[in-house]
Amino acid sequence: MYEVTIEPTGEVIEVEEGQTILAAALRQGVWLPFACGHGTCATCKCTLLDGYVEHGDASPFALMDMEREEGKLLACCATPECDLVIEANIDVDPDFKGHLVEDYRATVSALEPLSPTILEVTLDLDRPMAFQAGQYINLALPGVEGTRAFSIANPPSQAEQVVLHIRRVPGGAGTGYIHETLKQGDTLDLSGPYGQFFVRTSDSQDVIFIAGGSGLSSPESMVVDLLESGDTRKIYLFQGARNVAELYHADKLRALADANENFHYIPALNEPADDDNWEGFTGFVHEAAIDFFDGKFSGHKAYLCGPPPMIDAAITALIRGRLFENDIHMEKFLTAADGKNEITRSALFKRI
Amino acid sequence: MEAKKLNVKEKYRLLTRDLDWEFSYEDRKEAFPYEEFEGIKITDWSKWEDPFRLTMDAYWKYQAEKEKKLYAIYDAFAQNNGHLNVSDARYVNALKIFLTAISPAEYAAHNGFAFTGRQLGGIGARIAAQMQSIDELRHIQTQIHAMSHYNKHFEGFDEFSHMHDRVWYLSVPKSFFDDARSSGPFEYIVAISFAFEYVLTNLLFVPFMSGAAYNGDMATVTFGFSAQSDEARHMTLGLEIIKFLLEQHEDNVPIVQKWIDKWLWRGYRLLSVVAMMMDYMLPQKFMSWKEAWELYFEDAGGALFRDLERYGIKMPACAELIAKEKDHLSHQTWWTFYTFGHAAAFHTWTPSAEEMDWLSEKYPDSFDKWYRPRFEMAAELAEKGERFYSEGLPQLCQTCQIPMFYTECGDDRPDDTCYRSTHYQGERFHFCSDHCKDIFEDEPEKYVHAWLPVHQIFQGNCGGADLADVMKYYKLNDGAVNADYMGSSDEQRWKALKGIA
Repeated sequence: MYEVTIEPTGEVIEVEEGQTILAAALRQGVWLPFACGHGTCATCKCTLLDGYVEHGDASPFALMDMEREEGKLLACCATPECDLVIEANIDVDPDFKGHLVEDYRATVSALEPLSPTILEVTLDLDRPMAFQAGQYINLALPGVEGTRAFSIANPPSQAEQVVLHIRRVPGGAGTGYIHETLKQGDTLDLSGPYGQFFVRTSDSQDVIFIAGGSGLSSPESMVVDLLESGDTRKIYLFQGARNVAELYHADKLRALADANENFHYIPALNEPADDDNWEGFTGFVHEAAIDFFDGKFSGHKAYLCGPPPMIDAAITALIRGRLFENDIHMEKFLTAADGKNEITRSALFKRI
Repeated sequence: MEAKKLNVKEKYRLLTRDLDWEFSYEDRKEAFPYEEFEGIKITDWSKWEDPFRLTMDAYWKYQAEKEKKLYAIYDAFAQNNGHLNVSDARYVNALKIFLTAISPAEYAAHNGFAFTGRQLGGIGARIAAQMQSIDELRHIQTQIHAMSHYNKHFEGFDEFSHMHDRVWYLSVPKSFFDDARSSGPFEYIVAISFAFEYVLTNLLFVPFMSGAAYNGDMATVTFGFSAQSDEARHMTLGLEIIKFLLEQHEDNVPIVQKWIDKWLWRGYRLLSVVAMMMDYMLPQKFMSWKEAWELYFEDAGGALFRDLERYGIKMPACAELIAKEKDHLSHQTWWTFYTFGHAAAFHTWTPSAEEMDWLSEKYPDSFDKWYRPRFEMAAELAEKGERFYSEGLPQLCQTCQIPMFYTECGDDRPDDTCYRSTHYQGERFHFCSDHCKDIFEDEPEKYVHAWLPVHQIFQGNCGGADLADVMKYYKLNDGAVNADYMGSSDEQRWKALKGIA
């Protein structure tokens, strides 16, 4: 297993022995330009800044000798022979602050059930962590192979803590351990902050957050961060859950909406229980957004966070409502099992 | 403080800024007279995301290096008599089709991109089209040079350019590009960059290049790789133009949908010849047409159209018919060329017993039932010295110009020929399919004057009424370039070269 750092964004991916950089990047949700996927078209050409690669089946025309000497590589064919730093033809977001990823030791200071399936875990860090609202950490758990990624639910102003909303994945080793075995006072290792999911403030567009299940974590951090900084743009938060029991933090968010004129909170339940006496929107969360905006989204920025089917439906709703890729940011909550399935995707979209 | 690191996009912007100019005393609309007449609405060209970020300086440097490499291999191929290493001389007939049908299309593409490279209002799109225009010129040149070695040893290569403008089946690729080039700049770029270069390119280049590799033709493999290395830009341009048009204005969506419907179908019809090449012409076969369609269109294209669906773009309706035709396309096309092989610029033949078994295996639902009996009978007749050739001239489709041999596959009646017709201004026009008819009816004026080779022969515009006259007009050396491979001068020469009795 090699670590490949992709400049200019500084994202880090893990590439297995014999795996191509492109395959690893796409599986780990990092977009690189590509087209043919087999070394003939050169769309995925990158510059090698540090390390060695095997060029694999790269065509001598798509990657000429002089380019190999200049340190170019084709991500779709190149396999690392050590840890690498490469520079890809991708853009750095002007709002990305690039806080350094570091290792932290954390102590569990509180465990609080938020809903029948979601647990709030508060971790006190051994020192403050600088991060952007929306980013995530990788948590190591005793006896569980690999790390698990969780979004940070608290705002960056509370830098000495990370608060996580963790849904129990049926049969999942990591979330099973957290829900059943983890207790107050335990210490855990984590690293962070990671990710390109953060609030863009360099423009003045109004923002729409669409959150599903435990995907409220990042949006909650982002909303609080925006309000704390005195941002006056309009902020809409759509929270989707199955029923009232699963709709956590609703009171907190309603109070926040009452206190801030520019913040609007719209919860949606897709299967309210009979005794919920639900008077709000009934349906999926993307349908609540369509209903609220009459299907027209252009001029906004949208942030989506939650399980893949919710993200997928929300993207379609937004594009149909003429809000496009450049204004859509997302954090897809994949489980460790999801990552194993290779998805056939076209090169039409870069990030979504 | 550390200087801010520039990413590739910023570097490119700084290198190329002010390539465009402001229209201070001329009317911008007069400078770009074709930008609005197709109904496309562009609200902000600055939203064009330059997909290449290649400076002219770097472009020439890379292209020169590619040429150096390519021509070194051509030289080696010629010096080593590379043509002797091909699997069998029947293979060379695939190259004759490539040179007469595809290479001149590269030139037409060069011409079309020169037009779009002038007419698009956005500087990024203009530069991209200009570079592609130069690429396409390089492609036809390198193809002619690759084939020139075969021209020394085999028939049918020398008059490719003259033939392209006249020969009956070559009017198919010619009219395809004429249709695209006489469109506005946006339709042209959707037709060629998106529908053809992006969606269908793997069904054109992979079959020819893999076919060349399987059959020992290193010269063709090499120009294929060389051309494909330019495809990075071409394909990315195709994707960018689609996204850009769909995002610029919602009124563009139905226009783009119409173009995708039209050009996917037009491109697919053009690929009929590739289907037959894969299944019948390659002595060493690497994949069936049906497998290629499933892999490159149904899987890869399926993913693309799932993504396009978010914009409200639907999978073209013709995809359903194409899926049904995939069991029949190559067999019907080869049969047509086999029976009109006396008037073609390449040789035809019946598949050998082993090749028929391969076809049975690849087409279990269609070959044995519909096509094996036909080819077995043709082989029997040829054996008796009664090689079958069709005496008449076929009706051509007014839109795609392909002889109307396709059958009612959409209706699961693969034994019934498909005929469609419509009336326009008191005249009746004929079509091979509903889709070609729809294309005509949408813009009849564009197709009513089509130069249909069969009509032209009947009107006396092709040298005379006899086959011999027409062959002369085509500059086809009757008795050498045409008819069956068995007994041809190509076959005799190949046997002499290889020392086969």
